[in-house]
Amino acid sequence: MTYQDVKPGEVLLAVDNISLSFGAVRAISDVSFDINKGEIRAIIGPNGAGKTSMLNCINGFYHPQQGTITYKGQKRSAMKPYEAAAQGIARTFQNVALFKGMSTLDNIMTGRNLKMKSGIFSSMLWYGGAQKEELEHRRYVEDIIDFLEIQAIRKTPVGRLPYGLQKRVELGRALAAEPELLLLDEPMAGMNLEEKEDMCRFILDVNDEFGTTICLIEHDMGVVMDISDRVMVLDYGGKIGDGVPAEVRANQQVIDAYLGGGH
Amino acid sequence: MFYREAGQFKSSYKEDQAIFPILQDRVGIAAILLFAYIAIPFVMSDYLIGAIMTPFLILALAAIGLNILTGYAGQISLGTGAFMAVGAFSAYKFATFSIMLGGAEATLPLVVTILLAGVVTAIVGIMFGIPSLRIKGFYLAVATLAAQFFIEWLLVKVGWFTNYSPSGVITAPPLVILGFEFNTPAEKYLFTLTFVAAMALLAKNLVRSHIGRGWMAIRDMDIAAEIIGFRPLQTKLSAFAVSSFFCGVAGALWAFVHLGTVEPEAFGINRSFAILFMVIIGGMGSILGSFIGAAFITLLPIFLNNVPPLIGWNIGVDMIAHLEFMIFGVLIIFFLIVEPHGLARLWTIGKEKLRSWPFPY
Repeated sequence: MTYQDVKPGEVLLAVDNISLSFGAVRAISDVSFDINKGEIRAIIGPNGAGKTSMLNCINGFYHPQQGTITYKGQKRSAMKPYEAAAQGIARTFQNVALFKGMSTLDNIMTGRNLKMKSGIFSSMLWYGGAQKEELEHRRYVEDIIDFLEIQAIRKTPVGRLPYGLQKRVELGRALAAEPELLLLDEPMAGMNLEEKEDMCRFILDVNDEFGTTICLIEHDMGVVMDISDRVMVLDYGGKIGDGVPAEVRANQQVIDAYLGGGH
Repeated sequence: MFYREAGQFKSSYKEDQAIFPILQDRVGIAAILLFAYIAIPFVMSDYLIGAIMTPFLILALAAIGLNILTGYAGQISLGTGAFMAVGAFSAYKFATFSIMLGGAEATLPLVVTILLAGVVTAIVGIMFGIPSLRIKGFYLAVATLAAQFFIEWLLVKVGWFTNYSPSGVITAPPLVILGFEFNTPAEKYLFTLTFVAAMALLAKNLVRSHIGRGWMAIRDMDIAAEIIGFRPLQTKLSAFAVSSFFCGVAGALWAFVHLGTVEPEAFGINRSFAILFMVIIGGMGSILGSFIGAAFITLLPIFLNNVPPLIGWNIGVDMIAHLEFMIFGVLIIFFLIVEPHGLARLWTIGKEKLRSWPFPY
């Protein structure tokens, strides 16, 4: 497969008319949208609207029954999550999905796994190739640790960290893969105001410094309207609004969905 | 000297990622190795070395093997005994290969024989690891139990594995390396010690590499591991392969160095359980824990056996045997309640406490 290089502002990922159902339950029906390179794209909607299912489709965890996903100009066939990861799609989870038994450093190092090539035998012997590779990646990971300001918890097992920090470590793990497209599933859920502000700053910085395209799901309307370039609104698996924040805010269907119809 | 991490500053990532970053650990390991190499062969009696130290080391190696699979990669296995048997019998087949063809006695070098036995076991381990792609936890344990019974049955039933020995027992060839024969228990002990120490080092290196992190990622949260790019198939099967390699080498050492003559029953389900207990008691996901667990399971019964006579308590031999079982059982339950993460965790906690001792606040 050959992927074209996408310039900033062009379409990085396009979803066309996808539908996903589990038995009789329709999670997503006939939704199309696109993500431009370099933008922050938000997906919002009431609970159960199909937002997380949409992310799961994008990173290959679910396979939509209908419709196509085009990534970097190439129509994508059904693929496994690790194949999507190899193409530069990283994500974080709604419920923190860190490796609880490992330290912060090791967790972020796992994000580099696709770039580490030393085999079983050289890893066993350690000295030489494996050590050199490990140190190179350690250097990169330390940059991320500095960026996210989590130097103090480098060696702490992540199971012991407070929730807000766990979310930050998870963002670090996703960043370690140097993704082209970063999917964030409710990065600010359950955080207090200060933690939310920190997280917003990190998201904006990632977008700004690394040029990473970000697609995020979030319930905090203030945050979404402030940081995202474009917003898509889902309700009951269907798309009811799409556009820049101001447009979405003025959309009558969206207002109905959030406040309840019939007003 | 107090054991202290504080004050030992690292100025490069290389120093920080050294295998023993703390000075006291390096001194401790060096002391243990010196003691094991120099003091034990001279101080201990042949009986103690042959009947206790050598089996302890070999079982520790098997426990490292199972720990890689269960402790690091999170795949429960009850087939350790069977994998050891595969190692033992394939080492025997390799050693007698040239005799079978009518040639001279064992022509393959001993170390090569043992390593090849490990490779054969790794292949068998991969085959029995395939179900792990579909099933997890207790169900996987049952699937590996099938390996245990099937392999034991196969080795008894098919005469080819024992070179058609009528009793089903195999006898190991003499242990010769470059013309030097390992005869006395002390020599055999040193041979085992070298093997086990080298392989423990390889295991430690492996589990701190990106491969080891992949295993732990699959263990802690398999879906997230897949989403960040670990392939479940390769990760799980590589854990099965490496784990079985270690178990196979342990089995070959058990047959060649420790027992000399073996039958498949020596690698029964009891052996599998004993090694699983070593891993659980010693500490899941810890190489050090494998040694502690093996020491606990192999040395404690002998210790308990000898205590009543030592303190001048004259009770019957059968009473001692019963007491041994009871105390042993109580201690296992005690440790599982007090420290479910194993004895190795106590060591880690002790280290953390010492970091700030004597002023914890």
